[in-house]
Amino acid sequence: MSLPSRIALAVALSLVCAALLIALSGHDPFSAFAAMAEGALGSPHQVGVALNKTTPYLLAGGGVALCFRAGVINIGAEGQIALGGCGTAATALAWPIEAPLPAILLALAGGALVGAAWAALAAAIHLGRQVHEVLVTLLLNFVALLLVQQALAGPLGEFGAGFLQSPRMPAAVWLPRAIPGLDAHPGFFVAVVVAAGLSFLLWRTRFGFAIRVAGASRPAAAYAGFSVARLTWGVMLLSGALAGLAGGIEVLGVQRRLIEGFSLGFGFKAVTVALLGALEPLAVVPAALFVGMLEAGALSMQRQVGVPSSLVAVIEGLTMLFVLAATVRRRAA
Amino acid sequence: MMDFLAAAIRIATPLLLAALGGILSERAGVFAVGLEGMMLAGAFAAAVAAWATDSFLGGILAALAGGALVGVMVAVVVVRFRADNMVTGIAANILVVGLTSYLLRAAGRGGRPPSIHLTPLPDWPIPLLADIPVLGPLLFDHPPLTYLAAVGCVAMAFFLARTQTGLTLRATGENPEAVFASGGNPKLVRMLAVVACGGIAGLGGAVLTLQQVGTFTDGMTGGRGYLALASLIVGRWTPWGAALACLVFGAADAFGLRLQAFGVPASSYVLQMAPYVIALLVLATLGRATRLPAAIGRPMD
Amino acid sequence: MRGIVRCFGAVRANDGIDLQVAAGRIVGLLGENGSGKSTLMKVLFGMVPPDEGTIIFNGRELSGHRPAEAMQAGLAMIHQHFMLIEAMSVVENVMLGWPAAGRWLKRARVGQQIREASARFGLDLDPDARVADLPLGRRQRIEILKAILRGADLLILDEPTSNLAPAEVAGLLAILRRLREEGRGIVFITHKLPEVLEVCDEVVVLRAGRVAGRAPVAGVSRAALAEMMVGRDTTTPHVPDARPPGAPRLVVRDLRGPGLDGIDFAVHGGEILGVAGVDGNGQLELADTLAGLRGATGTIALEGTDVSRASVAERMRAGLAYLPADRARTSLVRSMSIADNFFLRDTDAFLLHPAARAAHAAALMATYDVRAPGPQAVVARLSGGNAQKIVVARELDRAPGVVIAHQAAWGLDPGATRFVLDRIVDLRNRGAAVLYISSELEEVMAISDRVAVLFGGRFAGVVPRATADLGRIGLWMAGQA
Repeated sequence: MSLPSRIALAVALSLVCAALLIALSGHDPFSAFAAMAEGALGSPHQVGVALNKTTPYLLAGGGVALCFRAGVINIGAEGQIALGGCGTAATALAWPIEAPLPAILLALAGGALVGAAWAALAAAIHLGRQVHEVLVTLLLNFVALLLVQQALAGPLGEFGAGFLQSPRMPAAVWLPRAIPGLDAHPGFFVAVVVAAGLSFLLWRTRFGFAIRVAGASRPAAAYAGFSVARLTWGVMLLSGALAGLAGGIEVLGVQRRLIEGFSLGFGFKAVTVALLGALEPLAVVPAALFVGMLEAGALSMQRQVGVPSSLVAVIEGLTMLFVLAATVRRRAA
Repeated sequence: MMDFLAAAIRIATPLLLAALGGILSERAGVFAVGLEGMMLAGAFAAAVAAWATDSFLGGILAALAGGALVGVMVAVVVVRFRADNMVTGIAANILVVGLTSYLLRAAGRGGRPPSIHLTPLPDWPIPLLADIPVLGPLLFDHPPLTYLAAVGCVAMAFFLARTQTGLTLRATGENPEAVFASGGNPKLVRMLAVVACGGIAGLGGAVLTLQQVGTFTDGMTGGRGYLALASLIVGRWTPWGAALACLVFGAADAFGLRLQAFGVPASSYVLQMAPYVIALLVLATLGRATRLPAAIGRPMD
Repeated sequence: MRGIVRCFGAVRANDGIDLQVAAGRIVGLLGENGSGKSTLMKVLFGMVPPDEGTIIFNGRELSGHRPAEAMQAGLAMIHQHFMLIEAMSVVENVMLGWPAAGRWLKRARVGQQIREASARFGLDLDPDARVADLPLGRRQRIEILKAILRGADLLILDEPTSNLAPAEVAGLLAILRRLREEGRGIVFITHKLPEVLEVCDEVVVLRAGRVAGRAPVAGVSRAALAEMMVGRDTTTPHVPDARPPGAPRLVVRDLRGPGLDGIDFAVHGGEILGVAGVDGNGQLELADTLAGLRGATGTIALEGTDVSRASVAERMRAGLAYLPADRARTSLVRSMSIADNFFLRDTDAFLLHPAARAAHAAALMATYDVRAPGPQAVVARLSGGNAQKIVVARELDRAPGVVIAHQAAWGLDPGATRFVLDRIVDLRNRGAAVLYISSELEEVMAISDRVAVLFGGRFAGVVPRATADLGRIGLWMAGQA
């Protein structure tokens, strides 16, 4: 069975399980799914919301896919996204610019930089002290989230607000609406272009070839003349920057301020999406859309049919497990 | 001071149980990244079962079963389908967070979670021993699951070093082909190890709901599973080492709480970071010295 | 064993083989690489199921069995690549999977049994020693010990001397004779004729999956056996004609590091310097260090330039080619296509051009006779010989000045072996300097101009082939100069 059809089967299986769970709690699966679909696609506004939700998963997922391809299991997107949003907010507030385009670019650059720096920290510990990258990136996630909370409790916070949030971003940095009528910011389209770029990088450049060799066999990569350490730095910095960018776009495009916990779960969804897309950046686009639409429809499903929205997390987890079982890469035996 | 140490023990208990389970899994050759999900599943099962059956024993058994169930999922995907250990563990964790949240609400009325309020398990002071001055209350006046963790530590050390099954388990993590050539079944060993890991880690989750908090909230394990993983690595994959590491992390957490209680102007967020930062520091310091089981993470034919 | 058939895909590894072994006899199973000997024994031991055929052991039929049942029936296998847990001690390795050691391990009792058996058979094993600390010859004895303690009636030894120095080989053969006296049966798998003649009672020769001949050892001639093995008159190995060596192209001074204890040598243009020695004496370290994969102190000069600190890529550009011993994970990426593997080491263009690559790959495949559906075929599906041809094509096609070959013909069938050796000699004839490292002494002696012996991380001796004395070389290999 070909790879895409195996992934499709995995998705179908997890939807079947979800249907069973819905039935278990006494609701009708079909109306639940219908409500979900309506919530995601029912109107241009809804579609825009779905696209907005898809954007961070797509951006971060592309970077994660690249890392996994190189054999670097980077699970740090969660922290990198959060810190990226923090960095964007800080930049926008600290250096306000009148003109929108430079203001946006500067703020997003700030976010990408912070995300890349956090990934660099993980890479440094992993490469310098031989600690497994999964552990480093995971533990740093917790530290990152607490750092963001600390920033909001301190210099970045809005005085007098009931909960942890930053002041509103200056109007200059608000992301505009991409297409009139569609409530989506340009982030999604940027993310698609980035995905195409990543795919080109992976398949048509020597760097991408090196990534694929390193992921298949580390000794072969060394033998081929690639420095695995430099490759690791490269993919970590790139994916950190993309994750930071994702966080920044979320802050500038959706909430227009930095809110505590704004990106909870984004990082792990990026991993889900990367796996669903079989680590191929272009395939990550439909995978991210799938997850984005699930989420956009979840609240509607909860409101209309009464099925808890946490079902979406269940679908994502099940999908990941089924995809993992279905798409084993035979490493060099 | 005694209070502080007692707090450290209290915090360390769930970590230790999870770490003990993780040792089984990792010594057999499967990375135990799914500990977080196994703990959470155990915590959930314990809370719901204890609430529904009004018995702590039911809760404990349910915790075993819940954690083991997650173990079965991971075991099948990793051993039978030969998927990557790490990512499967992460996937299982994501699934469990969503599933427990969903089931909790599905169990209640109208999509709202039932209000579970359990009285936490009381301390069981050991007669005579608990009366020893100073050490008595510190070591011998704990709720039952804490004793279980300590006993489990001793039992596991014995099991690994002195039994045929323990030998086979250790050998599977070093060289599964050799186990096969010696007449064993390494795939079965790995699967059983992961399931057992799930059950024991589930007990760790039960400590949270039955012994400490008394209720279940979404994602309540909050990263303890990953701390347990760090502690078993720091402890060199031995029960005693893991116990020591868990105590250190517990002490770090307790220290932070003490500081806050004394009104020391240290931000609570920074203090909450302490266990993770310490784990990272210790791992970074040990660095190259960590000697993993030789065949860990490698799928078998 | 009767009528055993075992196929791996399109390859009939075993094609209707009959084999009989009686108690108190040593049967040699002789054949070239790829003749099916290992497969046959894996079938016997239960590691691989046969497609057809029956096995009767001690009067009972064995079928659908796994190693556990085989061992219970009284079979024991001593593998070529030892099935031992390096991090554990001897006694723990012996106790593994042995019910008689008890559920609660009886360490002391088993330790005592090990000492007794060790004394009786001259095995010289200390129960508490860590396997990782023991030399390869001793490790093999642990496997033999396991077989003895479990009361095996039939021992299968798979290429037992491939990791032993000549002196250790003598020790092993003595142990086998003692086992035979006790009435056990032994199957001795090898591709080395002299050993068969020395210790076996009868010999069965396999070729291309079938029995090519059987004979009692007494009275059979070496030439006859060789002919049965190879199927034609034993061709004289291609002896390259002597020619005066050119300028030194690879000069190594005082190379030291893990596994390397001070190596000095020079290889000249138009010369093959063969490096013989038992595997595990620094061959891998030497090869990897020269190629740039490992670091060491000392100097390495390539075409006059110091490359001691140069990267793998830089050494490649300076004209160094490397054929590593590990084909599964180092020299090839098995999950990638043939075309990708051909250009694995290309250090130029930033952008890849798939169409041009595919065309170039197809041309290379034709020149080097790589049998595969096309340049996009995945390397994992190719036979060992074809896979190695890809490595040879990639490394040798760009006419390198210096070649390092490590076990270049290991495990290849005779046709592929011939091909690889021919290419290497060809390059040497055109002026390249070749360092040919191999654990097969005959191979090294056949194509080298000079022969060096590696022992314990240094060269025990270097002699021109013409004046090489096998006895001395054997002593060097064993570390007794």
